[in-house]
Amino acid sequence: MKFRHGVQGVKLDQQKELSLKHKIKNLPMADELPLKPNFNLNGKKDYNYILNAAQKSQIVDEFDGIPLDKKLKKLRGLKPNMIVACCFDEDPWTTSAMAVLREYTAEVISGLEYAAKACGIKERKIAVATKEEAKFIKSINSEAELILAGDRYPARVLLKKKLYSQNIKAFYIGAQACLALDSAVKEGKVQQDTVVTVAGRGVERWSNVKVPLGTELKTVLKFCGVSDKTKMIITGSSLTGKAVLDLTEPVTPSTRCIIAIKKAKKDISYPCIGCEKCASACVRSIVPWKILKVMKNKKPDPLMLTNVQKCIGCQACSVVCPSGIDLAEVVKKAADLKKSGDFE
Amino acid sequence: MILNYAKGPFIKNVPTIPSMMRDVIFTLSVLLIIPIVQYGVRPLVMAVCTMFVSVICEIIFNLIQGNKIGAGDGSSLVTGLMIVMLMPVNAPIWLPCMAAVFAVIVAKMPFGAFGHTPFNPAAAGVAFAALCYPHLVFRYIDSSAKNLPAFGDCTGDIVSSTAAVLKNGLKPSILPLDMLWGAFEGPLGTTGILIICAGGLYLFIKRTANWEITAAFLAAALIIAAFWPRIECSMITSVKYELLSGSLLFCSVFMVTDPVTSPRTKPAKIAYGFICGVLVMVFRRFGAFEQGACFALLIANALAPQIDVIFSGSFETGDVLYEK
Ligand code: SF4
Ligand code: SF4
Repeated sequence: MKFRHGVQGVKLDQQKELSLKHKIKNLPMADELPLKPNFNLNGKKDYNYILNAAQKSQIVDEFDGIPLDKKLKKLRGLKPNMIVACCFDEDPWTTSAMAVLREYTAEVISGLEYAAKACGIKERKIAVATKEEAKFIKSINSEAELILAGDRYPARVLLKKKLYSQNIKAFYIGAQACLALDSAVKEGKVQQDTVVTVAGRGVERWSNVKVPLGTELKTVLKFCGVSDKTKMIITGSSLTGKAVLDLTEPVTPSTRCIIAIKKAKKDISYPCIGCEKCASACVRSIVPWKILKVMKNKKPDPLMLTNVQKCIGCQACSVVCPSGIDLAEVVKKAADLKKSGDFE
Repeated sequence: MILNYAKGPFIKNVPTIPSMMRDVIFTLSVLLIIPIVQYGVRPLVMAVCTMFVSVICEIIFNLIQGNKIGAGDGSSLVTGLMIVMLMPVNAPIWLPCMAAVFAVIVAKMPFGAFGHTPFNPAAAGVAFAALCYPHLVFRYIDSSAKNLPAFGDCTGDIVSSTAAVLKNGLKPSILPLDMLWGAFEGPLGTTGILIICAGGLYLFIKRTANWEITAAFLAAALIIAAFWPRIECSMITSVKYELLSGSLLFCSVFMVTDPVTSPRTKPAKIAYGFICGVLVMVFRRFGAFEQGACFALLIANALAPQIDVIFSGSFETGDVLYEK
């Protein structure tokens, strides 16, 4: 029985406008990067053809970093009844998925169609965050079949839960993977570039940039006017992403955003005040403060660590905690403890 | 460019503890404005002294315990300021200071400082002062007094506060407009009804305080005031005087909403607010003093963990299914 709370997840402060103001910019290819030649495939555009194209074009899904052809193959066995293109950005600073959908609406739709064909799914949907976005996309291309993921973080999980409760077994694919699949099937193109959002106080021009894969982060940052006072560079997501120390790291399909932060993070935490915010933020029915309390014991009782194994590490709990406690870490530790079976 | 490493999340949602403390201190300071306009600098001096004393006490305690002197979460300032708000303006300066010493040294630090206190420290401090010096805590100077001395004793007519008039079963006579602006006798920071409401709204909107507790608290007080009035008058008049006199409204906004001492789940919070409201009215009617909000709050604090268990324990046993 679910008595505790109606809405789950967190509403985060969105910082999307600045990077959505302009169209996607193109970053020229660096000389030392190899240009990958197109491939040729013959035959009808059926299941095998699409899978081959996905494999040859080396597409990687930007949401989970898994090669698309593997994903599609696995899916054919699982037989889901809906395929959803994730065109919303959970991260409050990132807009790359939305920007791609906005500028390549037709391509994303047709890429999604190919993916659906490859795994034999009839129902296809494009997921966007809000009603306004849906209206806007409809005005660009009325063919788009949209569903709303909502603007609460983690939107992907919340959408999953919503569909699951309607008995829909859905499968999720990134917007950029759709786009790449479309050009692979139609033109035999290998995935060469990816759109990343560059944002944060440390850069002058917040924008979405189409970056050739393998470009060094510092080239992208320079392109957007990075300030010398930048203290931290984050890629992936401002919640679950990682801080980068080496700016020669290449851009990969799962980079999605590069955030430059001017203020270094202060790690001050206070004791838990029992505000329950963490529990209402968690989408996996974990009550992080209770876990925290149990884990403070010398010998935590594993029976009291309810649900910890279900944690997806979304960091929603850590973000909302006014005391600044790293709850996601605590829950992870608890899950490790429960898994290890080392209770005595 | 020198890059730092840190672990996610890299963003923070408001409110945070420092921002919550800032909000509360800000709203409490705004409450000081009317008394300062009315009585001169004395309320300000009282507030500064008490806050100073509470911070000093916290530092001394930390030194004795060998703790690091805290990063300054500001909770002592809030405690000090709240105590001042619940004192009459003509109380000697040492009275709120002593209450603050008790609050910090006895009710707060031994339990492990902020975040671990079972009782609201400010309420404990005021309750202590009220028990030891009832003749000072419940002695109000006429609200028309002007320019009180900053430090020394106040001379002026001593009158009964609205709450005391009610306690004696009489009907206070205050113009409604005076009531809203706080031109009547009562604890220093609790008479500016309009400002308390505005401050409460601000805290609720910023999500620093929980509106559910306040609503339940006021609802309980309202029901009791309407159906079991202490004085001979219409329902509305009784509600008006009960809710607007004494420290009831102030407590409902600033003290019962304290997240540390209130229960955690929403239904438990509502029950807690309600119980607290009922207790306040019971204390007002049967208690020895004209005001019982602090005592009621302390009892409700003691009940809070049990309320929590009752409301969360029965509804959440074992794993909650993910799909539902
Ligand atoms: S990190 Fe884990 S515990 Fe925290 S909100 Fe996400 S799923 Fe829940
Ligand atoms: S959000 Fe933080 S302070 Fe609030 S209950 Fe959870 S752990 Fe405690």
